[in-house]
Amino acid sequence: MIRGIALFASIYLVLVAQEFIPPLPFLGGAHLILVPVLFCYGALWLSFPVMLGLALFTGLLSDLAFLHVVGDRVEIGLGWSMLFYVLLGTALQPLQPLFREGRWEVHCLAAGAATLSLLLLQYIMVCLRRGSFFFDWTVFWHLAGPSVLALLLAPVVYLFFSLLPASAPGRRRGGGLTR
Amino acid sequence: MKKLHLILLGAAVLIAVVFLSFSSERMRSWQSGYLRVSSPALQAGSAISGQVAKLQKGLKTLDQLEEENAVLTAQNNELRAASQLSSDLASENQRLRSALDYRERSAFKLLPAQIMSRDASSWWNTVKINRGFAQGVDAAQPVLTADGLVGRTTTVSKDISIILLLTDENCQVAARVEGTNEQGILSGQRVTGNASPELVLNFLNRDANLQPGMKVFTAGVSGAVFPAGILLGVIKEFRARELDGQAIVEPAADFARLEDVFVVLGSK
Repeated sequence: MIRGIALFASIYLVLVAQEFIPPLPFLGGAHLILVPVLFCYGALWLSFPVMLGLALFTGLLSDLAFLHVVGDRVEIGLGWSMLFYVLLGTALQPLQPLFREGRWEVHCLAAGAATLSLLLLQYIMVCLRRGSFFFDWTVFWHLAGPSVLALLLAPVVYLFFSLLPASAPGRRRGGGLTR
Repeated sequence: MKKLHLILLGAAVLIAVVFLSFSSERMRSWQSGYLRVSSPALQAGSAISGQVAKLQKGLKTLDQLEEENAVLTAQNNELRAASQLSSDLASENQRLRSALDYRERSAFKLLPAQIMSRDASSWWNTVKINRGFAQGVDAAQPVLTADGLVGRTTTVSKDISIILLLTDENCQVAARVEGTNEQGILSGQRVTGNASPELVLNFLNRDANLQPGMKVFTAGVSGAVFPAGILLGVIKEFRARELDGQAIVEPAADFARLEDVFVVLGSK
């Protein structure tokens, strides 16, 4: 319960805080993207219904923060990130037993892969909208840089949430996705 | 997977699809609402980041002073530190004076604004400013500095507006080259590695005689967002392609150090 509330709050705070973190010159001007790292923790910890709530919340806020409307044209519409996080969370839920056994590296790998997939999907959609596709080292760093950073920062996020009490006294922990 | 989970998953996907069906205007109004709700957090973040930037600036000055310590006496160092302090104030004073002067001599009705934050996404170049519809800002208004064009407003909320920067590939401006009949479309590049990237001017004549250093201004075609005569940048390089010519343009505004901008509300 407490971790769940902390996850919802920290996703909003991180979305706002990210705007004040300048691009990283040593990673070809790539940005630090922490939202997928937090969401992956939630997907591996929360029960299925709460995870879905977190996915819709994360997706909606991410879309609203980065919505790009020029004239009547929207590059990536409101709703795509919601869909992405819902499917990502559903895919991660079967890994919950491993994660609950203390396998923190599951979260690391999931965070890196989720960040890479999110950025790659965004880039493909942008290219499709703009009618041309190219791939160079700058694009590579804009994809790989945040993903590697997510991978490296995931243990910090894991440690932070592990220090929080899992649930309020007297409450039972929610179960994950079961077959 | 439990049946209940499948139903919940279906409902979540349905909610996402409902959002996807929104019109661009409705999406913009949702974003405007988000900016309004987030305004206190964004303003607090902007204030904190301003303080951090000042602190970093102070630390850099100390580093420079340490280097100078090797060659100067302690007394000279004190004088240099004092001089540095006053020159910081003088340069800030100069910046504000030139901004005020530009506002007064400009042919446009200008609204001064400050950059609050930069887009944290990888594929778009936008910034947020601390002015919104409460101060008269509307969507699709030009934004500039005393040096040149910066971009245009897109989503506007009560106190915050999003500016699409000239360095974004989506910000396309009809441009003309000073002293020639050459006109083209100026835009940013899709992915850039630094905060102040070069711009590209496309659809020029392939045999155009364009030299480095020539100035590029907005052409101001009818019905366009940008009025004519705003400086965009200077030509750095011209290359003839198979069908047309393309010029690489160094932007006039310093996008790496954007602090104060003006929103063009209309003509005076």
